[in-house]
Amino acid sequence: MKISPLYFTKEALYSFRGNLVQSIAAITTVALCLMVVGLILLVLFVGGALIENIENKVEIQVYLEGADITAAASTVTKTEIENQAHETIRAWPEVSGVEYVSKDEALEEFRETFQDNPDILNQLSDNPLPASFRISLVDPRDVDKVAERIKQLPNITGLVGDPETNIEYGRDTVEKLFALTKWISYAAAGFAGMLIFVSLVLITNTIRLAIFARRKEIAIMRLVGASSWFIRWPFLLEGMFEGLIGSAIAIAALTFIWQTFFGNLASGQVLAFMSFPFDEIPFTELVLLLLASGAVIGSLGSVIALRRFLRV
Amino acid sequence: MIRLKNVSMSYSGDKPALIDVNVEVAKGEFVFLVGPSGSGKSTFIRLLLREYLPTRGTIFVSGQDIVHMRHWKVPYLRRNIGCVFQDFKLLPNKTCFQNVAFALEVIGRPKHIINSTVPEVLRLVGLEDKINRYPGELSGGEQQRVSIARAFANKPPILLADEPTGNLDPATSLGIMTLLSRINRTGTTVIVATHDRETVDSMRQRVIALEDGKVVRDQQKGVYGYED
Repeated sequence: MKISPLYFTKEALYSFRGNLVQSIAAITTVALCLMVVGLILLVLFVGGALIENIENKVEIQVYLEGADITAAASTVTKTEIENQAHETIRAWPEVSGVEYVSKDEALEEFRETFQDNPDILNQLSDNPLPASFRISLVDPRDVDKVAERIKQLPNITGLVGDPETNIEYGRDTVEKLFALTKWISYAAAGFAGMLIFVSLVLITNTIRLAIFARRKEIAIMRLVGASSWFIRWPFLLEGMFEGLIGSAIAIAALTFIWQTFFGNLASGQVLAFMSFPFDEIPFTELVLLLLASGAVIGSLGSVIALRRFLRV
Repeated sequence: MIRLKNVSMSYSGDKPALIDVNVEVAKGEFVFLVGPSGSGKSTFIRLLLREYLPTRGTIFVSGQDIVHMRHWKVPYLRRNIGCVFQDFKLLPNKTCFQNVAFALEVIGRPKHIINSTVPEVLRLVGLEDKINRYPGELSGGEQQRVSIARAFANKPPILLADEPTGNLDPATSLGIMTLLSRINRTGTTVIVATHDRETVDSMRQRVIALEDGKVVRDQQKGVYGYED
């Protein structure tokens, strides 16, 4: 009899059946753990995509509230200062675009926003809104740097009046958002790691029991000269089966959760305004990742459990 | 065939189990290893199986230095050494046939060879009519015959027996020893660690006596020689 995969598979299934309750316990644990891990990953993906959405909306508003220095008989006109600043800012590598919004355009936008509140609009006698630059960025994380640099521009008071109040970018919101994203990722990774550790311990325990139930056979195998891998394979396969079945259950549960919960969320009113790119969730990769994790947890658990028994 | 040179062995912390043992066993010899409990007989056997490594000294089996042997080669060493124990070490859920076949299966022997070898060795040990019985249905002596059949199934050049008659009555014991000596006559080197004064005295083979881990006597056609 050649050492055949079929033999090892048969042995693994035999041991699996003989140890059914323990095996089911291990599978359930792996399934639960991987389900939580998968859920965390899904939430991270969704959250990440949402945050990216928000991040992309981060822009710097520069209100051009500078005094009309033409009247003060200056050598440069206000328009010249504005044009120059526009050119300068647009040339910065961090900046992806500078949009000039004139007083009239600002008023138009204001009217659109408040079209349901004619009272407010009626109270506007003339146009109180300043013209502004809307600066969008290549990487939203540069927002602080770019805003500071704008404040250092020559003639900045001529451009905006008071730079502290008239250069806006929702600084606190942005910083909190970045900190939160980072913190959530770390916490989730830590939690997932802990769960994986727990599944590993449980698989190890199950396989250890399976080994213990067959310790006489193993002792005899050692004695008559069966090679280590010959003894190891069935248990390794058993652990791998259990890990894979566990991850398959987790994937099924996740798919169900995804379709009933996230699916509704996306099509319903809750997230509709976010224009969330649901197609971008890498579901195939996630499935593969979970299957691989299950297999790795299972086989690693078996190897750990077998170490002690194979020494002699 | 087997050579121990200046072999000492101590389990962690305890007093040494073997002290400076020098023994040579030629191919085809039959050797009794005698001595009171705790004299180091079992340690001697287990060192030859490389279940343990000696604290000092070298051991050669079939020309191979088994002390410095690679870990993965140990299974192949054991395929050349059949082994019999006091407690038989049979699998209770397998028949005689399956117990013997198991030993051949796990070292990857082809099925047709197993099917022809197993009945043959079971006939050699006189159990041809109990081939499908379970160990629980057999007497102690019969169980030990199954375990000898298993040890011999692969036709190893060396057969080690650690107290093979320890659980058996004198008449049965003699039968087992006769069987071992018959296996020896096929050219197999046999080493038997035993307490069994009567069989040792009656068989007149080489006797190596151990006492507190030392070889105190090595005698051709010897007797047991202790008053214990």
